[in-house]
Amino acid sequence: MIPVFLKTPWVSEALKAGFWGCFATGFVSANALFLVWLERKVSARIQRRRGPIIAGPEGIFQTVLDSVKLFTKELVLPRHGKTFLYLLAPLLVFAPIIVSFIVIPAGKNLIIRDLNIGFLLIFAMSSVSFFSLFLGGWSSHNKYSALGGIRSVAQNIAYEIPLLLSVMGVVLLTGSLRMTEIVSAQSRIWFVLVQPLAFGIFFCAMLGETNRAPFDLPEAESELVAGYLTEYSGMRFALFFLAEYTHVFLGSALASTLFLGGWQGPLLPGPAWFLIKTYSVVLVVMWVRWTFPRLRSDQLILFSWKVLIPLALLNLLVTALGATLFLQP
Amino acid sequence: MLSVTLPPDTLRADKDAARHGYACEAVTRRDGLRELCARLKDQGYFLECLTALDFSDAFELVYVFSRTESASRFLTKVVLPKPDASGPGVGDIFPAARWYEREVYDFFGIRFDPHPNLKRLILPETPRIHPLLKSFKGSAVGADAEEVLSAIHEDRAAFDLLNPRTPKNDADSYELNLGPQHPATHGVMRIIARITGERVLSTECTIGYGHRNHEKMAEIQDYRAFWPNLGRLDYVGAMAYNFTYAELIERAMGIEAPARAQTIRVLLTELNRIASHLLWLATFLLDLGAFTPYFYCFDDREKILDITELCTGERLTYNFFRFGGVAHDIPEKRIQNMISDFIPAFRQKLKDYRTLIGKNIIFRKRTQGIGVLSKETALAYGVTGPSLRASGVCRDDRRVTPYSIYPRLDFEIPVRSEGDSYARYLVRMDEMAQSLRIVEQIYRNLPPGEILLPKVPKTVPRGEYYFSTESARGSFGIYLASDGSPTPYRLKLRTPSFSNISAFSELGRECFIADLISIFGSFDAIVSEIDR
Repeated sequence: MIPVFLKTPWVSEALKAGFWGCFATGFVSANALFLVWLERKVSARIQRRRGPIIAGPEGIFQTVLDSVKLFTKELVLPRHGKTFLYLLAPLLVFAPIIVSFIVIPAGKNLIIRDLNIGFLLIFAMSSVSFFSLFLGGWSSHNKYSALGGIRSVAQNIAYEIPLLLSVMGVVLLTGSLRMTEIVSAQSRIWFVLVQPLAFGIFFCAMLGETNRAPFDLPEAESELVAGYLTEYSGMRFALFFLAEYTHVFLGSALASTLFLGGWQGPLLPGPAWFLIKTYSVVLVVMWVRWTFPRLRSDQLILFSWKVLIPLALLNLLVTALGATLFLQP
Repeated sequence: MLSVTLPPDTLRADKDAARHGYACEAVTRRDGLRELCARLKDQGYFLECLTALDFSDAFELVYVFSRTESASRFLTKVVLPKPDASGPGVGDIFPAARWYEREVYDFFGIRFDPHPNLKRLILPETPRIHPLLKSFKGSAVGADAEEVLSAIHEDRAAFDLLNPRTPKNDADSYELNLGPQHPATHGVMRIIARITGERVLSTECTIGYGHRNHEKMAEIQDYRAFWPNLGRLDYVGAMAYNFTYAELIERAMGIEAPARAQTIRVLLTELNRIASHLLWLATFLLDLGAFTPYFYCFDDREKILDITELCTGERLTYNFFRFGGVAHDIPEKRIQNMISDFIPAFRQKLKDYRTLIGKNIIFRKRTQGIGVLSKETALAYGVTGPSLRASGVCRDDRRVTPYSIYPRLDFEIPVRSEGDSYARYLVRMDEMAQSLRIVEQIYRNLPPGEILLPKVPKTVPRGEYYFSTESARGSFGIYLASDGSPTPYRLKLRTPSFSNISAFSELGRECFIADLISIFGSFDAIVSEIDR
């Protein structure tokens, strides 16, 4: 028997939120550990090395051991830093990304909340996350950190716009921001085939948004030591690290949902297709990272304003024309 | 021959260039030096090296001038009587002199006037120690060493990391301290950059963190005992440093190494040059944010190190050359097999690098037109090596001062005229191909015979000698003043990175922080040879 008080709306809602919160956090952490391992393996293959091989089969437990190490590390607090903000930043970078998973459909009915604002929530949350990189950099009282933080803000502003503009084409074709409707609109043809330019722009901007090479300027280790991360150690550092990998996963999940037909696919169940598509995009992201040198800060910003945004606007215009002419209202 | 009219009161003596390494020597008055320098500059000379000698009652300043197209070196000396010696500053005529003058001030306590910024270059800013004075004994234990240590401990001014250097009223710019511990300085070096936003306004290099004073070490031990030091100046391309020392002393002693030893020397030096350029390529791309080429370059470099290890027993800090030959013979058959495997494989790899790196759009955007070093600036600062040849000056010691078997070999000197980071990249890539060509020419037919002269004199005849060879980074020269005793009286190491990096402050302005790193990387500086 379910006690009556559990049936009151707010309690059941809270329980549900608690359950999904725990599930999302658990999944995100395990997934990030896996992605770190995957990155090390992929980079090793690209660089003709073997990567981790000692801990477990193919070194799969290496990242678990690494996280144990990070847990036991001393947490250093910069003496002149803004302590409260310094402590807040790692939480603020991680929490919004978990929240974003609410609207990602991983299967037919496997979505936590099918909000009508859909992916706008993800973009809003990812901006909060990016903003906290600045917070962390600024509160560390270190010039390298501050430079990294400033770069992260400039980059976020520059890359948020093409990201949204490129997705607007998909929205025009679907007529909805709802993720489930976007997925079901792709039951016949994936949007990547209808909107190839938008997908390219989305992918570039997503690299910029997730701070991945060749757009990893906020932490540019050969210039800024470790950028906004310089003063962070131990678990606080690990949270930034987890956030980065989760961000990559989120971006890839978004790409597969918006452009690659989401969870739809033959034979295999929905979640399997969702993961296959997402991890494929993740692998491409890693491939890009280990292949290219880094852009310079001004080139990065100009690339967005002078190339990506005009192209995205053009794409939007063409899509709007096409939608008016060929799709019934 | 020297075509410059010398100022009055100048004593001039012609020397045997083959033996001494310079054709002409002039002793001029203190007041006449600046005039002479200006004339030399008009004649196309550049200042290669500047140092001092400490005698009981006077100092002698030694200026080595050289020309780009020929080896005709010109040595100029100025005698400064001892108490409160002060020399004429020539930094406004030859900017290269600024760092050298600071170094002389540092090591000998000689002041220069005029000088824009006469402070210590290598040692901490302490007033007491001038280690190259003959009165400074410089043993590793004892009073001198303790004095050095206590002075360094007391010396707070040198470690002014915590002192804000920014003037209080300047709110628009700030100082960013790259180093001494920074991923991109490839060693312990400090670049102080004044920055506004992301733009670099000016830079200043602070060196000396890894200073060991090899020059003093040379003065307190005999000629043979100095061999191991040479491998430790530039640990990446150490073979060429052995080469200079061997050639210098052999020419001074009037001996010549057997043909087989000469060939082995050239073979190993050229292999070492490739290895050094590969390490440069790896770290330069790391500076640009590309991680993967590092492993590929190190993979190739490893094969060369295997060859040199089999020849010399060492992988990095080679100590293989001897006066009159090399330490021991090399296992010819195995080396030939290894090299014949290496050459075609590496040719293919070079081609791949040119495609994958040189054609990459981001790489080109990051290097083309960045850090443009003009021909004039390069010569004014005494920049040598690939960095100079990327600025359109075809000067390679292997051609201008023919030594060993190089005159008989068929190779080209790659030159580019752009002077930017991309040109420096291209020159080094071409140089690897040329070195490979040299290796290909000689490894099959090593001449038979002795590898070491049976009897070699222990002392160098009284006199002064200067010789330089082309190392991977540029012209590595040694100036030697011998008094005929078993130890050198003065041995000055003219390392190429020292001069190359003295030009860095000209380039590290009006650029971005990221450019600062990539320009520094494109010069291929090895900090341990800057600091010596």
